[in-house]
Amino acid sequence: MFAHLKAVWTFRYFWMSLVRMDLRSRYRRSVLGIGWSVLHPLAMSAVFCLVFAEIMKVQGGDPAGYPAQWRWYAAYLLCGMSVWSFIQTSTAIGCQALLMNEAYIRQCPLPYGIYPLRTVMGTGIHFVISMAVVVALVCVMKGTPAPLGLLWAVIPVLVLLFLFCWALATLAAFATVYFHDTAHLVEVGSQLFFFLTPIMYPRTILEAKGAKALVDLNPVVVFLELIRTPLVDGTLPAAQVYVQGVVLTLAAVGLAFGTIGWLQKKVIFHM
Amino acid sequence: MAKIELRDVGLTFTIRQHRKVTFKEYLLRGLFLQSRNPKVAVHALSNLTLTAAEGDRIGVIGHNGAGKSSLLKLLAGVYPPTAGTRVVEGRICSLFDIALGFEPDASGWDNIRYRSYLLGETPRTVSRKTDQIAAFSELGDFLNIPVRYYSSGMMVRLAFSISTAVEPEVLLIDEVLGAGDLAFQIKAKQRMREMMASARLMVLVTHEIPTLEQICNRAIWLQHGSVMMEGKPDEVVAAYKASITGATPPPPGSPPPGAGSDSVSQPPTPKPHVGALTAAA
Repeated sequence: MFAHLKAVWTFRYFWMSLVRMDLRSRYRRSVLGIGWSVLHPLAMSAVFCLVFAEIMKVQGGDPAGYPAQWRWYAAYLLCGMSVWSFIQTSTAIGCQALLMNEAYIRQCPLPYGIYPLRTVMGTGIHFVISMAVVVALVCVMKGTPAPLGLLWAVIPVLVLLFLFCWALATLAAFATVYFHDTAHLVEVGSQLFFFLTPIMYPRTILEAKGAKALVDLNPVVVFLELIRTPLVDGTLPAAQVYVQGVVLTLAAVGLAFGTIGWLQKKVIFHM
Repeated sequence: MAKIELRDVGLTFTIRQHRKVTFKEYLLRGLFLQSRNPKVAVHALSNLTLTAAEGDRIGVIGHNGAGKSSLLKLLAGVYPPTAGTRVVEGRICSLFDIALGFEPDASGWDNIRYRSYLLGETPRTVSRKTDQIAAFSELGDFLNIPVRYYSSGMMVRLAFSISTAVEPEVLLIDEVLGAGDLAFQIKAKQRMREMMASARLMVLVTHEIPTLEQICNRAIWLQHGSVMMEGKPDEVVAAYKASITGATPPPPGSPPPGAGSDSVSQPPTPKPHVGALTAAA
């Protein structure tokens, strides 16, 4: 594992320049360019806010009544959507990580961790941008710069989340080489997962329906709580949740390294 | 110190007759249906032993499908051996599948950088070499346009210029000398000789016998994934030629005339001409 990490570090210039190229080529010939990364989460939450807060009158959050509740909901939703879409796109794009880089794999034996890293770095940059939008929006909605005070509790969690997403992308990439339908299963599965996860609604709704176990077992909920609670509600989550987050990440990263170690001498014969 | 040591190396690909595995196959395999899509083992290399030290320039010849390219890829570390051990020391540079591994949307300049990083360079060493690489490739203003629009000859020029600029310790080449236009071929050969002068290890796969005889100091004749003969280039080439032009086309798989006395290892059983297919256990 350490040898693997060292090799990833040795080739850092290689994958970092590819990440930079991916970013540039993604917005080639686009007028707004990287502005889309900012605009996309904003537009998404505007739509959801309109639907859920205005049309369906979702309850929860601020007890102060309608306008305050609406503002709380916008921040809550945007934060949740950003975290979710980082995890979801990392896994979905991660599926193609090895197949897309087949040319390199067939030419030069690089550590396999590099390829998922390339894709997750790409989505991670968009995630960081949308998190910055979230923090700004929460400050605007609440009218105070208070959320900035809790950033120190959020930033380490973002690092954890990044590692977690890399692990998911690695697992998805290897699974896809052996079973090409994985990409489609991930797509369908994540749709289902999205509605089972308290992203658009507070977790109390699921708990009230008697599906508490579903919430407790959901790995995404841990990260949602660790990031959303300090930013949107302004309170620190329980220490127990932090422990859960660390254990979860370590387990996923361990699994990913285990998979690389297990398959790195075999996967080429299946591509 | 560059070194190659292959001991009893085997490389077996397990493939399916039809590339796709159907849903039915997934469900019914092993239950009661005999599989209609059996696994087939392709023995690309078998029982191959090879040692090379610094200064060796090895030329590899053989029929199509004899395992020449597989040998190079195994040396490069792309394919891990499925049997035996492989030890290759030194910085490896491989010139095969040359059009692969370019980022088509990036410009020539960018690709020079990516590939140099891939070969283990750092930004500091690259900036010194980019001009040198560009000059050797003679691509001029074409380096500013995306590699997507390059002709295959231009691609080879660029790839060759980069790969030979990084002073590899172990150089693995698969018939690139035949590509590019005449002027570039002459230049490429010139540069190859320069690289050889710096006494590195090289393995060259080629069908161009004169090139092999000029450049290499050792030759290997591969057949069915095994070493048919190994020795001085002129002797091996003579035996190889004799096997082709000799008494009418020889029956597939039979040991060629003239190979007997010098032969290092013989394939254990006669096998079909191209590759060797057997049903996997």
